[in-house]
Amino acid sequence: MAGNEQHDVIVARDVRKTYAENGVPVEAVRGVSFTITSGEFSALVGPSGSGKTTLLNIISGLDSLTSGEVLLDGRELSAMSGRELSDYRRDSVGFIFQAYNLIPVLTVEENVEYVMLLQGVAKDERRERVHTILTELGLEGFAHRLPPKLSGGQQQRVAVARAIVSEPALILADEPTANLDSKTGAELLDMMRELNQRRGMTFLFSTHDTMIMERARRLITLKDGMIDSDTGES
Amino acid sequence: MSMYFKLAWRNLFRNKRRTLIAGIAIGVGLASLIMTNALTLGMKDNMIATATSSFLGEGQIHRQKYRETGDVDLTINDLDTVTARLTDDPRIKRYTLRVWSYGMIASPVNVSGISVVGIDPATERYLSQVDDAITDGEYFSGDNRRDIVIGSKLAEIMEVKIGDRVVLTTAQAHSGDLAQEMFRISGIYHFNVEEMDRGMAFVRLGVAQEILGLEGQVHEIVLKFTQSDIGMDEKHPFWSEYSEDGNEAVAWTVLLPQIKVAFEMSDLSTLIVGIILFAVVSLGIINTLFMSLYERMFEFGVLRAVGTRPGGMAVLILYEAGALAIISIIIGGIIGFVGTYILSQVGIDYTGIEFVGVTFRKLLYPVLTPSQFIVFPFWVFLFTVVVGLYPAWYAARMTPADAMRKSM
Repeated sequence: MAGNEQHDVIVARDVRKTYAENGVPVEAVRGVSFTITSGEFSALVGPSGSGKTTLLNIISGLDSLTSGEVLLDGRELSAMSGRELSDYRRDSVGFIFQAYNLIPVLTVEENVEYVMLLQGVAKDERRERVHTILTELGLEGFAHRLPPKLSGGQQQRVAVARAIVSEPALILADEPTANLDSKTGAELLDMMRELNQRRGMTFLFSTHDTMIMERARRLITLKDGMIDSDTGES
Repeated sequence: MSMYFKLAWRNLFRNKRRTLIAGIAIGVGLASLIMTNALTLGMKDNMIATATSSFLGEGQIHRQKYRETGDVDLTINDLDTVTARLTDDPRIKRYTLRVWSYGMIASPVNVSGISVVGIDPATERYLSQVDDAITDGEYFSGDNRRDIVIGSKLAEIMEVKIGDRVVLTTAQAHSGDLAQEMFRISGIYHFNVEEMDRGMAFVRLGVAQEILGLEGQVHEIVLKFTQSDIGMDEKHPFWSEYSEDGNEAVAWTVLLPQIKVAFEMSDLSTLIVGIILFAVVSLGIINTLFMSLYERMFEFGVLRAVGTRPGGMAVLILYEAGALAIISIIIGGIIGFVGTYILSQVGIDYTGIEFVGVTFRKLLYPVLTPSQFIVFPFWVFLFTVVVGLYPAWYAARMTPADAMRKSM
């Protein structure tokens, strides 16, 4: 649960990532440094290939960095084992993906409770929290439906429910509105903004959607793997 | 854990056709194992029944050295005591006495060398199937001492039929003097065993003893047990108990060692067939699991991203392998049972075919046993899960970013 006192959730120092593409080294991220404080509603923005998704992958521990340092809640990311990273993501990070990426064979309810199952939350508590979050996101009638039976907007709301149900400190959202129409996208963003304000959850988006840019309180613009500008939190 | 199993089970049915094909492939492998084993058991039963009930019995008692030499002088020592013990022995269901000799049979048109066997028709019928194999005439129906029962092939060679006379010439025991006796063909049998149909003739025990000068003596006691296992167990105490006073008691497996070797070969064949089937099946399992894995690579990345540990991914794949095994076992069990049951009802006609000295005289019926549906499925399950370790290991060591390289 995000606390009320502000603290550094992410500290990135001189982060670099070099890929080998067909044997040729490609610098996707080149010396990026920034800090995300709890309660922020920020966005990494920039054109395709600017390195925002790579940076998001590194921050979340999904990908390794070539050099530099990332501290997550004060813990050095590169010092964590694979298992510790899994546990960190399970307990501290919620993901919202561009293509929803719900598990199609699990019902809405099962998708949302999956992370809590990994956390070992008791069944009654899981069900209670799932019910609460689905009601909050207007999905109460869809608990037993499979994701393919839902609209894109509904699926993304389920993805949001999955990301926030275990009340992680940090929500990472990669182009969450890319597959939604503008009205649904706006509704979803407003909902996330409300969660940010009401629950104090930290949101970090990766996007080039103007709707998100308009709503984000801080924009970190990336260009060619480097920070081009950082508005700071407004 | 239950969530992983739920995921695994449902994942399998995402591509029903592929799962069904993989399940059928593995299931057919299992069914083949069940049917091969059932056939082997049926063949064993058939061969044992043919070998023991046709003429050999489940065990025999002879004078020591008789089996090696066939010396007509070597009759069983202290026969009365031995038969008295056998009569009182609860392990013995039946026994019969035989006298053996080589001789020459002559008809008006031909002469042939044969084995002459003196039998007690009343007790012999419980130990052999000479009476059942009669195709012409009768099996010692009256008390005519000149009755002789010969094989169909011998009758053909001698050009004799029921009622015709033949002369039997043999050397007497001890003295070696020639003895001749005229007989009348009373029965012709057809065992479908060349050795018996061409080279044996049966006369009454008393007559044979008289011709050979062996009053009250026999060469062979043929045994049938209340528990046929004794005949299969060469180390059973029974054999040593009756191997005394210069006599030897041996199990049928000793008398027909090639059949035991054949059984061992048969077991080995089943093992080899099993290994080949499992090897082929394993490729199918790996292929199915990897196809499923690659198809859902991004999804695995998502599972890893939301906090599933590498071990959890491996468990998920192993559950999928296990679930596939369960489906395959159900399919294979049904195919194996139905196929084997049908064959066990209609039988397989191998009659007349000789294998390691035993000619199948009856239809071969595959034998279904509960263990075929416990042991083989257990191995299929274990094997499938073990084979699933490779894709499980692969899934466990995938980095989330690699798995999700399409996005995020």
